[in-house]
Amino acid sequence: MTDTAQTWRGALGRAKALEFQEYALAIVVVLLFIAGAILKPDTFPTWDNIRNMLTQSSVVGVLAIGMTFVIATAGIDLSVGSIVAAAGVFGGIMVGTDGTSSLVFILAAILFATFLGTCNATAIAYGRVVPFIATLAMFSIARGLALLLNDKLPVSLLDLNGGSFGDPRPFSLLWFGVGRIFGIPVSVFVFLAIAILGWIVLNRTRYGRYVIAVGGNREAARIAGVPVRRIIFSVYVLSGFLAGISTVLLCARLGSASPVSGNLYELDAIGAVVIGGTSLAGGRASIVGTFLGVLTFALIFSLMTQLNMSTEIQQVTKGLIVLGAVLLQRPEARY
Amino acid sequence: MSRKRLAISVGAALVLALGATACMGDDDDDSAATTTDTATETTSAGGGSGETVKIIASVPPTDHGWLGAISKDAQAAAEKHDDVDFELLQAADADSQAQQIQQAISQKPDVLVVLPQDGAALTPVAQQAERAGIRVVNVDRLFTAPDAATATILGDNYQIGVLAATYIADQLKCQGNVVEIQGLAGISVTEDRTKGFTDTIKQKCPDGGLKIVASQPGDFNPDKGLTVMENILQAQSDIDAVYTHDDDMAQGVVQAIRNAGRDDEMFLTGVGGSQDAMQQIKEGGLYRATFLYNPNMAASAVNMARLIGLGEGFEELVPPEVPRQVVVPAAVVTKDNVEDYEQYAFD
Repeated sequence: MTDTAQTWRGALGRAKALEFQEYALAIVVVLLFIAGAILKPDTFPTWDNIRNMLTQSSVVGVLAIGMTFVIATAGIDLSVGSIVAAAGVFGGIMVGTDGTSSLVFILAAILFATFLGTCNATAIAYGRVVPFIATLAMFSIARGLALLLNDKLPVSLLDLNGGSFGDPRPFSLLWFGVGRIFGIPVSVFVFLAIAILGWIVLNRTRYGRYVIAVGGNREAARIAGVPVRRIIFSVYVLSGFLAGISTVLLCARLGSASPVSGNLYELDAIGAVVIGGTSLAGGRASIVGTFLGVLTFALIFSLMTQLNMSTEIQQVTKGLIVLGAVLLQRPEARY
Repeated sequence: MSRKRLAISVGAALVLALGATACMGDDDDDSAATTTDTATETTSAGGGSGETVKIIASVPPTDHGWLGAISKDAQAAAEKHDDVDFELLQAADADSQAQQIQQAISQKPDVLVVLPQDGAALTPVAQQAERAGIRVVNVDRLFTAPDAATATILGDNYQIGVLAATYIADQLKCQGNVVEIQGLAGISVTEDRTKGFTDTIKQKCPDGGLKIVASQPGDFNPDKGLTVMENILQAQSDIDAVYTHDDDMAQGVVQAIRNAGRDDEMFLTGVGGSQDAMQQIKEGGLYRATFLYNPNMAASAVNMARLIGLGEGFEELVPPEVPRQVVVPAAVVTKDNVEDYEQYAFD
């Protein structure tokens, strides 16, 4: 009885702490926005720039949603940036030079990314390779594949839209990058939809509870009947799949698939997840936090570019803001 | 400090390089390529001694159009000579490149051709090779000690900046707003391309009518170029020209400008001389010029390495020698002359 009561209290405490973290990060987001509005009143707080920041968030944002699930199981996925590059080039060569079907690119990219994610998943769940090492290996393999697949060259995808960039048809590739619905970019809708789905799955389904349980205490989860191995397998497949969607969003905006794209996106994704309050030790995860974390990075990047800060100052400032955001959350996070 | 010395030696080398070119005396006025021709023709004149030269070339990861072309050009140059035993090593980063060169030293080649990932980091291992009696030809990114290489061939990054500034200042008649999308921060290539640009803008437009309103790194990477330019487009409502440090990266910048529907407002220049860039220059529109930074210098480096291995030199020099330093001149490629340069484009 007391055991149950304590567990409940612990869970409640965790929930509260998480709530505060989300609020704290929301405050950071608001503060950054206000700072931007004061420093660049004409160009920062505009609808156009908000749209721009949301679009820029979408690529890393989709990766970060997948990363939230991975980190919730106390894992890590270092390979997503490389997978984005490999999937893009793979999709590009599948389309060929005279290809006119966006669907081929989209399916090929997503399938290839999911396949690479499944390789990670197999190595980790069944080969018992530590996630850090397995995905570090994939980080290298996928980047190599990206270079190998088309002899180190980028693939232009403008042919999918008749060679130009103007007015892509709905559901064609470039539409995902530059198309708009009610004035909001399609890529933002994709990101929001995936974030909402991610929230529902993590917080409102048995699968989500299993993911958290595996990260919290693997042995206890196993005894309680959670299919631990399958859960771990699934999060890396999911991460690969979302990397595929991210690829589509990036290539659609870029109009080409480059073997050097996606460089170090995994660090931005992991950073966003962690400042969002998901614990690297597993067992605690917040999709809302991840969403705000991604926004934080986009705000910082946009503001610093608008202020035309030099690189070195940007790096120091970005580091300080990230540190500040985490410190702000710390007192309440102790439990 | 050493910048002054560098400037003097670069200047001297430029004179030397141009001198060698002038000595050719043929009617080929394409100076950027003539350096290569010089070496090739000299070798065909001086070959036939019967011995083989073992050359090992080491280059950074070729994950970029220009670096890819460097590898291909070096390989192609080596294949033209029967008396060259050639091996190309591609390194993943500065550390593994150092290890690769150490292993290469143990194979005792006659000459090493090195395009270092990071010149300073690889200087000690190059010195080690020279001390072991292996001649080193340094390509493009400079070692930091004079005894690390027997000969050096490099492009002129400062000159690239000068040409870009001159072109943009002329086009805009010293009136307007310019954005600079730089390469990777903290390496000499980027710093020189920036310095040449800003120095020349100040000099050509002393009244300050031509303003550099934003200057941000795009890391030679198209997707970074895209996002950086997207943010700059938000901040700057009036842009007349964009100077980018690289043709590959410029493709991302172009996409950002097109996505924003502002292609008519400004024009853009690149650096390098990629096929994509030349194609767009030919078509006209946003992409107005690129400044040739010819990867053919790798072919020249292999030819120089061969001459050094054979103990021969450029016949045009008296006595025939391989110069200590060759600076490949940069060239402006615009719609007017793009056809002359297309043969040197890389993909």
